[in-house]
Amino acid sequence: MTSELSQTSATMRDNADVAEVLGRSYSAGFITKIEMTGLPPGLDEGTVRAISAVKGEPAWMTEWRLQAYRHWLTMPQPDWAKLSIDPIDYQAISYYAAPKVQPKSLDEVDPALLETYEKLGIPLHERAALAGVAVDAVFDSVSVGTTFRKQLAAAGVLFCSMSEAIREYPDIVRKYLGSVVPTGDNFFAALNSAVFSDGSFVFIPRGVRCPMELSTYFRINAQNTGQFERTLIVAEEGSHVSYLEGCTAPKRDENQLHAAVVELVALEGAQIKYSTVQNWYPGDENGVGGIYNFVTKRGDCRGDDSKISWTQVETGSAITWKYPSVVLRGDRSVGEFYSVALTHHHQQADTGTKMIHLGKHTKSKIVSKGISAGRSSNSYRGLVKVEKGAEGARNYTQCDSLLIGKQCGAHTFPYMEVKNPSAIIEHEATTSKISDDQMFYCRSRGIAEEDAVSMIVDGFCKQVFRELPMEFAVEAKKLLEVSLEGAVG
Amino acid sequence: MSQPATLPLVSSLLDAPLPSSGMTWLDTARRENREAFAAGGLPDTRVEAWKYTALRALGQRRFGHVDDVAQRPAVDAPTLALPGVDGPRLVFVNGVFCADLSVLDRLPEGLTLQPLSQALRGDPEPLRFALSRHYREVGDAFARINAAYATDGVVLRVAAHAKIVAPVQLVFVGAAAETDLAWHVRNVIALGEGAELSLVEQYMAAGEQAQLATLVSDIELGEGARLQHVVLQNAAIGSSLIRRSSVRLQARAHATVHALELGGALVRHDLQADLVGDASRLDTRGIFMPHGRQHIDTQLAIRHQALHTVSSSNWRGVANDRARGVFRGAIVVAPGADGSDASLSNKNLLLSPAAEIDTKPELEIHADEVKAAHGATVGQLDERSLFYLRSRGIPQADARALLTAAFCRAVLDDLPNEVLRDHLSAMLIAQLPNT
Repeated sequence: MTSELSQTSATMRDNADVAEVLGRSYSAGFITKIEMTGLPPGLDEGTVRAISAVKGEPAWMTEWRLQAYRHWLTMPQPDWAKLSIDPIDYQAISYYAAPKVQPKSLDEVDPALLETYEKLGIPLHERAALAGVAVDAVFDSVSVGTTFRKQLAAAGVLFCSMSEAIREYPDIVRKYLGSVVPTGDNFFAALNSAVFSDGSFVFIPRGVRCPMELSTYFRINAQNTGQFERTLIVAEEGSHVSYLEGCTAPKRDENQLHAAVVELVALEGAQIKYSTVQNWYPGDENGVGGIYNFVTKRGDCRGDDSKISWTQVETGSAITWKYPSVVLRGDRSVGEFYSVALTHHHQQADTGTKMIHLGKHTKSKIVSKGISAGRSSNSYRGLVKVEKGAEGARNYTQCDSLLIGKQCGAHTFPYMEVKNPSAIIEHEATTSKISDDQMFYCRSRGIAEEDAVSMIVDGFCKQVFRELPMEFAVEAKKLLEVSLEGAVG
Repeated sequence: MSQPATLPLVSSLLDAPLPSSGMTWLDTARRENREAFAAGGLPDTRVEAWKYTALRALGQRRFGHVDDVAQRPAVDAPTLALPGVDGPRLVFVNGVFCADLSVLDRLPEGLTLQPLSQALRGDPEPLRFALSRHYREVGDAFARINAAYATDGVVLRVAAHAKIVAPVQLVFVGAAAETDLAWHVRNVIALGEGAELSLVEQYMAAGEQAQLATLVSDIELGEGARLQHVVLQNAAIGSSLIRRSSVRLQARAHATVHALELGGALVRHDLQADLVGDASRLDTRGIFMPHGRQHIDTQLAIRHQALHTVSSSNWRGVANDRARGVFRGAIVVAPGADGSDASLSNKNLLLSPAAEIDTKPELEIHADEVKAAHGATVGQLDERSLFYLRSRGIPQADARALLTAAFCRAVLDDLPNEVLRDHLSAMLIAQLPNT
């Protein structure tokens, strides 16, 4: 199998130019041949214990996982989203896979893996050095390389894999893990809590401004391996951090389940900026294969004057179920959500945010841009909730949808629940297509049809791209262009 | 769905004997809908359509049926009059047709207007389609009970190309009785091709008695028909009113709805419109003003299913005291409904720290040659406007009252019946809190 695949990837390299010309090709579609050690498919208490044991976790962590697992057993898979999901056989999934060779430093990292990143345009060393970005690369389920650890350590920033954090900083992990997304929060969060393999851990101590942007590339590799990352970012009083998450996955045919949990905690005056570019394999143009991306992301503005900002560009996955949220607990805390979600072919996305206003004079802003093409379905689902004590809360929401083609759907489901008379909540949404006038204007100036579409789409998304860190913005723009190939004409 | 038969509300409603019509199709439909209600019970808040309207308290109450009451309570005829509404009138007290309060002489040509009970005795066949319906959705509990038990209501037909100028008035009175009553009304309204009708639907109270009323209306507009529909809901403060109106518009038909939701304890109105004919149009305007401990829930579902269909909706909510206002405005543009133009706005004023507004505008778009937009706000009066008025020497309280009145009256602006419009805006202003 491996030789066949490597042959495919070789052919792909040779034919790179041809592929680019021949419409949409998934540029990250290749499989790295690294031997896997993993658990056989199936899930029971034994699996949970085995994962915990493989990672050498303390007893409290094992118990925590088991509790989550038992809760998960009692929960039904949610069906309220506007998604049609084929039944998932949770017993057919392998819940743990790790590269066999456990590297001790970056130099020891399997060359094949480094090559994978190379192909993706993420040369670990170069990029880290040039861009001043520390990369904690998650290859399937175990962190294999971490850079700039010393520099970060000097600033007092802890940035490591979750498994390492559980070993090295159990007190911090124990205090914050599950405090934003409890183990029984929802079906997928409970599943994640039980079987999560690895993820990133960031701790910014009081008053520290993280000296660089932190970044992690998640990547699904082994076939039939669910990927269950767990990320925890804690920003102490007055600290500041910007975190980048980017995803690409190799091409394959079977649906893969991805159920991550991300928890952010911002204490008084702290700021967390979390940016995502998600480009999991979306399935082919007939809707075969692709990743199921069921993610729980939530930030807790625990202290006064804190701020959490989510920015996401979602172009991948067969099905996306994702609502990065902010609980505005502290007075004058701020929550932001900027999103571009693009669906094409048979992709389905049900994504949005929740802003829960609890503290006084809390503010939230939501800007969501949905683009649907092909036969896809793209929904924005958002909740703005103002509780009784949220004196002077303020929310502004803008949701725009762009339709490309006659067979796609664009939907908007905003919920507003207001219990405080001093709150001001505003929601606006529009749905339209690229107008003939816009196209005619571009075409009359000699711009090719596809270029015109990508220009107009780029303009449509500008408000969100502006919020992305520079190199991400460039990547995101490119990603939209690639994703929309073949959408017009 | 929750514990069907154990709820006092469900068992008390099912205690009523199933009416018998002598027609197999109708008796079968009634029996099957009753069975569906008995099996399904009441929807709980996990059912999306009932997310913000909990039926827990209502579910614990018991209601008798109308036959329990030997005598019809007295209702004063003059209280039924509405300025600017001088056409024929059909009056129902606790769901039962009242000939003496109704005005059915001198019906204009082309208008058929009679109570359902009469129509069923006469020629039931045209009603067969509407009355043999089965309600299958989880949230349909009240439509089921209505289909099982409603024996009276309005049958209104306008012949093709007939223009009914004087507004037809339908009055539903909830009158004081010895016990808490449940009653059910079923209306079937049809406008023929090119027909025109002005209709005023009115809910009022002649007592403070607790009641539960369910009303289901089917309104069909033929090609090019026009309907001006005003709903004035000012039911008794103790009554729970569950209404569902289904409107179907054929090609070039145009319906305009103005709704004032003022009274009632727990009020729920589902307005479902299907724009099935090309270039049909629906305009809805409405205001809900819950105060005290009222709960008013308006659910709009507008489905664009044909080419060049237009809908515009403008709804305002004002919640005071401990009241709760709920609004859902769903617009669906079906595949192929190109040229659809849909807009919806819901603005709300929250006047008290214990009041709540839950609003949920929705867009579901499956076609691309479409213009669709919605907006919703929840907030207070604009500080700058207040400042402007105060800087011109208008006291704070007056300035607030003025701005609130303007906020509410916006929904009546395009009501063509001037006399009625003035009367309704006076009613609105009278109901405003003294701010």
